[in-house]
Amino acid sequence: MINFHPSNQQLDIFSNGLMAPAESLIISAHCDMCAQCAEKVALYTEAHSETVFDESSQKLDPSLFGNMLSQIMTQEIDKGIDSEPTNSVLELDGRKFTLPRSLNRFSESIGNWSHLVGKIWQAPVNMGGDVVANFIFMEKGGGVPEHTHRGTEMTLVVNGEFSDGLADYDSGDFMVMDGKNIHTPLTKSDEGCLVFSIIDAPLHFTSGWARLINPFSHLFFK
Amino acid sequence: MLIGITLENNKPDVRKPKDCAAEMAAHLDTVAKERCKASFAKIFGYFAPRLRSYALKQMGNEAIAMELVQDTMSNVWQKAHLFNAEKGSPSTWIFTIARNIRFDMLRKLQNRKEDICSDDMWPVLCEQTADPKEKSLEEKVTLQQVGELFNSLPDKQKAVIEAIYIEGKSQQEVADELNIPLGTVKSRTRLALQRLKDMLETHD
Ligand SMILES: [Zn+2]
Repeated sequence: MINFHPSNQQLDIFSNGLMAPAESLIISAHCDMCAQCAEKVALYTEAHSETVFDESSQKLDPSLFGNMLSQIMTQEIDKGIDSEPTNSVLELDGRKFTLPRSLNRFSESIGNWSHLVGKIWQAPVNMGGDVVANFIFMEKGGGVPEHTHRGTEMTLVVNGEFSDGLADYDSGDFMVMDGKNIHTPLTKSDEGCLVFSIIDAPLHFTSGWARLINPFSHLFFK
Repeated sequence: MLIGITLENNKPDVRKPKDCAAEMAAHLDTVAKERCKASFAKIFGYFAPRLRSYALKQMGNEAIAMELVQDTMSNVWQKAHLFNAEKGSPSTWIFTIARNIRFDMLRKLQNRKEDICSDDMWPVLCEQTADPKEKSLEEKVTLQQVGELFNSLPDKQKAVIEAIYIEGKSQQEVADELNIPLGTVKSRTRLALQRLKDMLETHD
């Protein structure tokens, strides 16, 4: 059962498209797994669309749009390609893990698994840019020595369970760890535990992303 | 120049999006079914100025704002058949198209090297057929083959297998009932079946 969710504020900014790409991606992956948050995102999205389009439109001068309308209507219909919504599967040591839909495309960008410490394995996910993203797999009994975080790390439990001395986490749980958290992850689950993690993404806000916080957001925050 | 189609004189349409949702949904429907230009002109007349003011605020540049309007409205024209009134209002659908285009534009403008695009998160314009039934492994293992081996499964896997194969529930129903993600149900099913299959093989 999912107990740890992104905050309402994160879901709100995400649904408005104003969150940095890497953070958006991991929140989206959580929403693929969490019906509750997916529902909230749908509500925020609806609210944003009302707000955005409700603003009194400037007086429309047709010449402003030139021949845009007629030009668009000469375009062919785009039938697109039907695609089946399959989820990518990550294979590790004979075990198969279904990935949340948002991570589908990245299953092809996973580097080699390397042994970290104890029974912990890690594989980098190449997302380009400065994003540090990894899949981390903890075998049964596997743990990480007590540590803290230098930057901010966002983690999504893709499959399995683990405890970190602070709480128990299950598939779908989303958590943000920063320098204030000291923890000791350990998994006792037979099948081990697979998590997806992104480091420091929220600190990479640039002005373009950060300058826009919806002025009505506070209405939705609880 | 506008050929044969005039935008609703020069008066701005001041209705709220939800007050003209039914009308816009009907227009989208005739655009989808008949490529009706008059209907599209109505949609354009209402949304283009609103999209422009949204885009201007977000991008702060007239040329880029107009590009966003053009791309969004092109998608509305070309993909009107993907609008589903049961899933939401026309304004929400058009907003999500614009939001996605803006997200990808901004990423390009900022020269961000991340390979993360709006489709990964919001597949608004992906045409998808219904969820296909999970196949493969499931079909290869039948309950009769399994017998008492079933009891040696971990409890969580047992619960999932029991619900699906004995009570005949769908994976989605099991996910809802146990309050766990669908992907977890799928993984547990697969792990359990894999384990059963391995046990069957070593039994032979
Ligand atoms: Zn959630």
